[in-house]
Amino acid sequence: MIWFVFLGSSLAYSQDEVKVGVLIPLSGARAVIGENLQMAHDFAVKEINEAGGVKSLKGAKIKLIYADTRGDAKIGMSEAERLILREGVVAIMGAFESSVSYTSTEVAEKYQVPYLVPNSLMDAITERGFKYTFRVERKGSLWAKDQIDFIADMAKQSGRAAKKIGVVYENTDMGQAIAKGVRKWAPEKKLSIGLDEGYPARTSDMSPVVLKMKGANLDVIILNSYIADAILLIRTIADQRVNPMAFLGSSSGYSDPSFIREVGKLAEYFFDLTEWSTDLKHTPLVQEKNAAYKKWNKDHRDFNGGAAFCYASTYILYEALEKAGSYDPKKIRDAFAQIKITKGPAMLIPWTPIEFDGEGQAKGARMIVVQYRDGQRRTVWPPEVAMIKPVWPVPKWEDRK
Amino acid sequence: MFSLIEATIGGILMGGLYGFIAVSLSLIFGVAKIVNFAHGALLMVAMFFVYWILLLLKIDPYLAALLAAAFLFFFGYFFQNFFIEPILKREKETAPLTVILLTSGLMLMLENIALLLFGADYRMVKTSYTGKSWSVGGMMIIQPRMIGFLLSLILVFLLELYLRKTNLGRAIRATSQDREAARLMGIDDYRVYKIVFGIGTTMLGFAGSFLSPFYYIHPAIGEIFVLKSFVIVVLGGLGSISGALLAGIIVGVIESLGAQFMNSAMTESLIFIIFIAFLVVKPTGLLGKRRE
Repeated sequence: MIWFVFLGSSLAYSQDEVKVGVLIPLSGARAVIGENLQMAHDFAVKEINEAGGVKSLKGAKIKLIYADTRGDAKIGMSEAERLILREGVVAIMGAFESSVSYTSTEVAEKYQVPYLVPNSLMDAITERGFKYTFRVERKGSLWAKDQIDFIADMAKQSGRAAKKIGVVYENTDMGQAIAKGVRKWAPEKKLSIGLDEGYPARTSDMSPVVLKMKGANLDVIILNSYIADAILLIRTIADQRVNPMAFLGSSSGYSDPSFIREVGKLAEYFFDLTEWSTDLKHTPLVQEKNAAYKKWNKDHRDFNGGAAFCYASTYILYEALEKAGSYDPKKIRDAFAQIKITKGPAMLIPWTPIEFDGEGQAKGARMIVVQYRDGQRRTVWPPEVAMIKPVWPVPKWEDRK
Repeated sequence: MFSLIEATIGGILMGGLYGFIAVSLSLIFGVAKIVNFAHGALLMVAMFFVYWILLLLKIDPYLAALLAAAFLFFFGYFFQNFFIEPILKREKETAPLTVILLTSGLMLMLENIALLLFGADYRMVKTSYTGKSWSVGGMMIIQPRMIGFLLSLILVFLLELYLRKTNLGRAIRATSQDREAARLMGIDDYRVYKIVFGIGTTMLGFAGSFLSPFYYIHPAIGEIFVLKSFVIVVLGGLGSISGALLAGIIVGVIESLGAQFMNSAMTESLIFIIFIAFLVVKPTGLLGKRRE
């Protein structure tokens, strides 16, 4: 009898909701990226709620409230304000673009609501002494460090050392962060920079930039693009037969599922620095969750790096909610600061444990490098998690069939 | 030096297409005094049209261009007929502001319908000549770009010929010079407007088809070309067809050649600096005629 009363009350409570805001671009040029991330968030929340919601909040269900930033920093700010004041969210996740995360975290800081950033890489996001900003992604300038380390490691592995590299990037915060890092880290590995080219976001023709690459005679070209420019760039590179030892992307557009679908064979042998890959096996959960996700979503897509991080971040948020046991944003913030996750689906992220330093930056964050082989992204670096041996240098365009 | 020649050729080819895209805007503005903000969206419609025709009926983009052009002619003709004409008749002005709102509305509508139907995915047309290039003395001349450029030249030539040599062409030019006078001479100005709008969108149909074999297709693709088109139209002289083509080539060459000497982010502003400087010297544009 008492048991029934208990069950009844827990059912009544299970109607409760924890509202969490998610800022992502859902319209405009980056809508395709936003939609991809949205599915990952939704999948994680579906799993969490089906497993009984947040137990320390009497089984409250997580409810995600999406706000469309259109990739615009100003809209990001006003939407963050709306989420906090009008929707009453207890935490926010987002906002993909660094520029949007940079401004919208400021709003969350002002209203003292914790803000978890899964994907943005601009260093400054966690370097302003904010107490309410937490970031999972590795800092942008360190991405470049990993890229340079990878190039140096490949020289050792293959005996074909690169000397002159180039960096070509979309001229936004994200691209500039990569370029800044390349300038800083390349000299340490005795690499000279033969081309340092930022192109505007809506470039209609990539040929001028590609001709410049061709003229500079580079050994390795580091690229950073969103999806539309990634497609245009790789097509123009193939058309113009630009033949360095390797192309090395920086995730984002190059890891987007529509990249491989649209450029097909042109992507073969392309290296990409990324946070994540579907072929990872550091935990069996990677294969298991990816299979479940693929079955669940309407396009039967795999996770890409961005989506995997959004999925894992939703679990980090869940762990913080469990730990806080409260709807009070301040308590949830403290839970984030103390968190130390070593198991569960949050471990899709390829390092252990997940914890945040005093600035709110994930400790121990590190990147991996994949290479497109037969249309699959195969992990080739670092050696601890590598699945196959990389092809370096890559075949010339003329020699490909 | 070698790379500069290559960059110049690349600039001319792409610029020719920029110019050809702008022809429609110039023609419609020149004759009907309507600023067509749906310009980019109509280009997108043409590109999707070609994409689906290739995918479903396996018709080559250059053949599908004819279908796309015919489709867009009727689209433009009837849009003018059913939506713009009633406003023109009611407002009794030559260029009422409401028409700007109407064309902007058309843009939003087309883009969002495309987003709804096709999603925000990027698509590519795959043909046998996609990614093929001719190697001329070590320079890569990309086939679909060259073909698109040549066809654009031919179409602009034919359009100029049409405007100069046929009765309807003369009626169009007369209306563009003075609508009232043309009317007094017995020209049905509203019919001329419809045909001009139709011809303008036809050209966009061709332009979209020429672009699709080497470009990606997306509901918001028009936004990439629209600002450039406005610059080209003004630089070439409002209403001048050949002027638009010439201005397009100039913009393409500045863009391509400029990038070889400076950061490509800078060339974007260089285009506007040259544009403003040119307008100070010659406010009517390259081939524009001064109005009395």
